[in-house]
Amino acid sequence: MTTEAQHDTVDMMLNMGPQHPATHGVFRMVLTIDGERVIDVTPHIGYLHRGSEKLCEHESYGQVVTLFDRLDYVANLNNELAFCRAAERLMDIEVPERAQYIRVALCELNRLASHLLFLGTYAIDLGAMTPIMYGFRERERIQNLFESVTGARMMHNYIRIGGVKEDVPPDFVPRARAVLKDVRKGVDEIDRLLTFNEVFLARTKGVGVIDAATAVSCGLTGPSLRASGVAYDVRKDDPYEIYPYLGFEVPVGHDGDCWDRYYVRLLECHQSIHMVTQCLDQMEPGPTMTQRRRIARPPKGEVYVHCENPRGDIGVFVVSDGTDKPYRVKVRPPSFCNLVALRPMMRGAYIADAVAILGSIDIVLGEVDR
Amino acid sequence: MVRAMAETPETPPETPDAEQPKADAAPARRGPPIEVAEEVLDERGEETAALLKRVVATYVLDSGGRGDIPWVRVAPENLVESARRCRDDGQLGMDLLHCLLAVDYVERIELDYILFSLKGDRKAILKVDLPPEEPAIETVGGLWEAANWYERETHDLFGVVFTGNPDLSPLLLYEGFEGHPGLKSFPLHDYEEW
Repeated sequence: MTTEAQHDTVDMMLNMGPQHPATHGVFRMVLTIDGERVIDVTPHIGYLHRGSEKLCEHESYGQVVTLFDRLDYVANLNNELAFCRAAERLMDIEVPERAQYIRVALCELNRLASHLLFLGTYAIDLGAMTPIMYGFRERERIQNLFESVTGARMMHNYIRIGGVKEDVPPDFVPRARAVLKDVRKGVDEIDRLLTFNEVFLARTKGVGVIDAATAVSCGLTGPSLRASGVAYDVRKDDPYEIYPYLGFEVPVGHDGDCWDRYYVRLLECHQSIHMVTQCLDQMEPGPTMTQRRRIARPPKGEVYVHCENPRGDIGVFVVSDGTDKPYRVKVRPPSFCNLVALRPMMRGAYIADAVAILGSIDIVLGEVDR
Repeated sequence: MVRAMAETPETPPETPDAEQPKADAAPARRGPPIEVAEEVLDERGEETAALLKRVVATYVLDSGGRGDIPWVRVAPENLVESARRCRDDGQLGMDLLHCLLAVDYVERIELDYILFSLKGDRKAILKVDLPPEEPAIETVGGLWEAANWYERETHDLFGVVFTGNPDLSPLLLYEGFEGHPGLKSFPLHDYEEW
């Protein structure tokens, strides 16, 4: 440190991305570095901007659901749910209970799939090759289950305004239980392999620390916020669908570093498994679509709803002018807001930790750029 | 998509506030009459609305709300002060700027500041109307760090200038992009990029 202070060093700019394997998509950041230390970081986004919000204004309400699939493309069902809830609030539709159970069960499975992807890719960001194999193996089981229910692996368009597309296949419950059993084993395997691994701890403990006040000011939400010690979870604090009937805990971190952000997600995997099991137990036969016939035209008005996505708090603002197409749709994408917190996290970190910090907030560029 | 392409140029953009077209203007809209949703606040919303009106006090121009989210409209010059009061008030304590968005109503551009209080689990919206020609407003970047990117995005897509924001360079669009694609006047399909 003393020699660094004595010498008059010149700051250097280092470009990372957009085609960098550790940026999880097309994301570019320009690091200003002094020796090995990052002084400042400027994220550049927009490489995947498709104008989804503008496209929504030209589609009917039912069609907009398909566009939401393509925002956060590893948590499609959660996105669909967010828009459908907004549209249902606008149209004052009550969703049948069975449909709500199916929605929540599938959304929690999707959260599980998304977190498994995170666990795998985060390890690979840090140089550990094995966990991604475990993560993808388990995720594949969930994707297969989705395929049997919705007919698609990723772009489901299964959650519809007023319910779900159709009832789950008759063998859904036993299949889901079998999948959960395997996935629980897989999560435990990753846990044993990674969590208290000496190298992993050295790379993540105390790296990219963000305190609660800064995190809230930056708009950080979801697991990344809870890792900083703020116990805010929409499912608990502003419950929707059938979440009030499910017993679950909200894992909260302490230090707000990369390890906490990793561990909170790992614990959330267990909570999700627990929640899906409860859904499967409580589910009862019944209709899966609302009986109301006119659901194409909501009355004129506006509505804002928010849901808990795997990455954070997604908000959907819909303005209706009384026609069959929304007048304006605005998505508050959790990854976009979480990226704002990148700068305070990265200041003062080593260059080698830049990848670890970026990986730990788990962004999906489809959602950041829309 | 194909259907949308065929229809879009024919139907002029409808403004929600101009429902009664002049007698011999465009032919009347087909389809059922437009219903207007009732704005009803629940218990929690009423509580927040009362707090919000007390805090923002004399600045309130108009108010309403739906469910648990009340809204108040303030004049553009009072926005920053209103937002600061919402954030710093002990009972309201809006510590999270959940979202900032613009809606183009053609004759005005509306900005919505969606504020959340994590501790009290309260939500509220501050609304501001800006003129469509040269919309400008002071930044709230000093209150919430999250505001910076929202403002850049809104500047990109709607051309709203946030005075005091240190960096309004394009965020979602590329350098040198002309026009503001969020506006209703920006075409969806006839735009040629290359």
